[in-house]
Amino acid sequence: MNRRNLYIGVALAILSITACKPSLDEFTPSAGTKADFSKYIAIGNSLSAGFADGGLYLDGQKVAFPLLISEQLQKVGGGEFKSPFFSEEQSNGSGYIRLKALVNGQPVTEQVTDKLAYRSASPKLLTKFTDPINNLGVPGMRMDMAFAPGIGTAAGNMYFERLLPEGTPPTMNYFTYSTSQNHTFFTFSLGNNDVLGYATNGAVNEGPTTTLTSTALFNTLLNNYVTTLTAKGQKGVLATIPDVTSVPYFTTVTRQALLAAVNAASTTKVTDIYIATKTGPRAATDQDFFVLPFSSAGLLGVPNVNKIPYGLHPLNPVEDKYVLDTKEAAEVVVRVNDFNKSIKSIAASKGLAVADVNAFLTAVKNGIRIDGLSVSAKYITGNGFSLDGIHLTPIGNALMANVFIEAINKTYGAQVPRLNISDYRGVKLP
Amino acid sequence: MKKLLITLLCVSPSLLLAQGSQVNLQSPKSVGMGGAGSAYFIDESSIFYSPGALSKMSHNAVSVNGNGVMFKSAFQATGSSVVDHTKNQITPPFSVFATVGPKNTWWKAGIGIYTPYGGAVDWGTEWTGKYSLVSLSLRAIYIQPTVSVKLTDNFSIGGGFVYNIGSVDLQSAVPVYFQDGSSGLAELKGTGTGTGYNVGVHYNLNEEFAISMSYRSKVVTKLKDGDAKFTVPEAAQGTFPPNSKFSAELPLPSTFAVGVTFPISDKVKMAVDGTVINYDIYKELNFDYSGANTPDTHSPKNYTKAGSIKAGIEYLPSEKLQLRIGGGYIATPVSKDYVYPETPDNNRVLIAGGFTYKMNQKFDLTGSFAYQRILPREANNVDSHLSGTYTTNIYAPGIGLTYKF
Repeated sequence: MNRRNLYIGVALAILSITACKPSLDEFTPSAGTKADFSKYIAIGNSLSAGFADGGLYLDGQKVAFPLLISEQLQKVGGGEFKSPFFSEEQSNGSGYIRLKALVNGQPVTEQVTDKLAYRSASPKLLTKFTDPINNLGVPGMRMDMAFAPGIGTAAGNMYFERLLPEGTPPTMNYFTYSTSQNHTFFTFSLGNNDVLGYATNGAVNEGPTTTLTSTALFNTLLNNYVTTLTAKGQKGVLATIPDVTSVPYFTTVTRQALLAAVNAASTTKVTDIYIATKTGPRAATDQDFFVLPFSSAGLLGVPNVNKIPYGLHPLNPVEDKYVLDTKEAAEVVVRVNDFNKSIKSIAASKGLAVADVNAFLTAVKNGIRIDGLSVSAKYITGNGFSLDGIHLTPIGNALMANVFIEAINKTYGAQVPRLNISDYRGVKLP
Repeated sequence: MKKLLITLLCVSPSLLLAQGSQVNLQSPKSVGMGGAGSAYFIDESSIFYSPGALSKMSHNAVSVNGNGVMFKSAFQATGSSVVDHTKNQITPPFSVFATVGPKNTWWKAGIGIYTPYGGAVDWGTEWTGKYSLVSLSLRAIYIQPTVSVKLTDNFSIGGGFVYNIGSVDLQSAVPVYFQDGSSGLAELKGTGTGTGYNVGVHYNLNEEFAISMSYRSKVVTKLKDGDAKFTVPEAAQGTFPPNSKFSAELPLPSTFAVGVTFPISDKVKMAVDGTVINYDIYKELNFDYSGANTPDTHSPKNYTKAGSIKAGIEYLPSEKLQLRIGGGYIATPVSKDYVYPETPDNNRVLIAGGFTYKMNQKFDLTGSFAYQRILPREANNVDSHLSGTYTTNIYAPGIGLTYKF
């Protein structure tokens, strides 16, 4: 046997093996023919903007779900997608909270105060970003406010004011701004704040950001909005509004947890937490939702001038704004369902896709598993929600983007690839 | 979070049990014939393939065999355009067989040390299924003293005792996140032992035609005091203590094999082997943790019996050289809903080839090469919901040296 030939043969065999990776081609990305993704814009509120951990900052902006959608659309020929990123020097934007420690499982958070992007402290105004953008998401934006003048001024919403050139007339509203972008495709997710602002304030109306928009007004404005957005036959996706009780902001601080904390610090057994409702004080039940900030407010059990401990006696109940009681929660849920009916019916009438964010977050509330990862609405450890208990983690945003992608594929016959969730993170731990 | 971790810990040692981990590379002669030839190779490797045939061996011998197994898998998540690949990695299954005893008499004794289960797969820390598995390396080393006896000129029996030393080294991502956004990591390392046996009968009708049957028992390997090390942010260390212990039982299944061999011509012989592997003992996997806060777990596996059919041809062009070719089909024990990335198993096809070169009276050199293709399969794991399509190529070049005396 020729030894040299043998060696050459063995060497060639090894080389060819190294090259022989198995291949898979199970998915062919395709834009389909029913929608044009060349200029995609995202209209929405904080969720669209990438708000997380109680603030808008660069890291959150970089995983905003519309941006994640656009990255996947680009794999089927979609156009460039610009976001109003904060600069590296001002990367912490509005500031946000981070987790400082977990003490006996209880989170201790702190406010990030460096690298902020404020150009004025009073009124609070952010450094302007007036280049053309595709992610038009504005934290705090509501359906009713989108049509109101003055919201883009120094006296209005600082996130919207940031996007408008100096000298923009106060008559410029969000509706006009967002519908004049020459888009070919859009995602639309406004309306959460029309109920959420009211709900997070314990159903106490303390001004324009905490009112509950009427269904009739919502329906009219949405119809108007979508008609304008589709005036040239453009396609898009409308998002439904989540059930407020699916977010950790309302589900983390429970009556049981409060009682356990009080009893751990007290020698006399406490069995009831008293809450103020619109019809007077009463003992809380497990169907009442305490808002997340109540736990860190440090009020429970603190005696008032009459030495009655806060929240432990009908004469010094937990204030209405800290509790979305059963009746108030029901009112909010009804309103959310009514809004969603409007959204679905208008989408159907215009032939638009619906991203059922409500159904998705309800599933997350019960816990889902995907790509080997469990995601739930449990505060911090659930990995779906950021530290503010309302906005999403990067994992949550990627999941949300997939809900939109699924809707796009289904309605427009496209094959936009989905995101792999394991590429994204949950809450950062110290 | 704790439950999640437990779940991911539980799924892992299943590789021990899957077809994916079976390394039928004990003898490069058999490998060259596609894994067939248990009735034919009446040499020292009969200790593994057919203990009944060992006593028909006229001389004594020692053989040392090694392989370089390359297990290359690909995964594409459902609806995703990203394809993940395992990293290039070579595992070295080996075997040593030695016989002792007088020549040309009615009995023969021997010892075999071999690695019937094992493998290594490394998907890396950045792939889609990292929470199910990052990497796994495992090995079962069987040590088998054997005795074989000729009852008649045509009929012989044999048996051996099996002692197994098994080791596992596993890594999985843990869904807790450091400040740089990277995920935590769990590393499990453990060794365990188990015992079993291997028995067989061999019958040759004449010089040319033979049949063999063998049964290798299950070997339940007990892993105790395995080390579970967690690399997680400080805030998560209450849930994931950096140094924990675990124990588990890993049943390696029994196998029943039948082989026949017959001549086609003076210079060409053929062999056919069939096996049934009783993977159905693997219904679930139970884990006990030493940590008081760590709940014990069980996870369903629901494996089924599986089998394979293999055939090979040997050609003798000269006194000094034997050439072989073979192939086979191997059915999977893993049901669609229970596919895990450590055993991305499906039915597989096998082709192989090899040679033996008689260097002189004392030494034989044997080479083999086997290629297996695990057919693509779309699976949605019932537990992890890691959903996508897997496919795998396995390349196994092998070499063996035999000293006869």
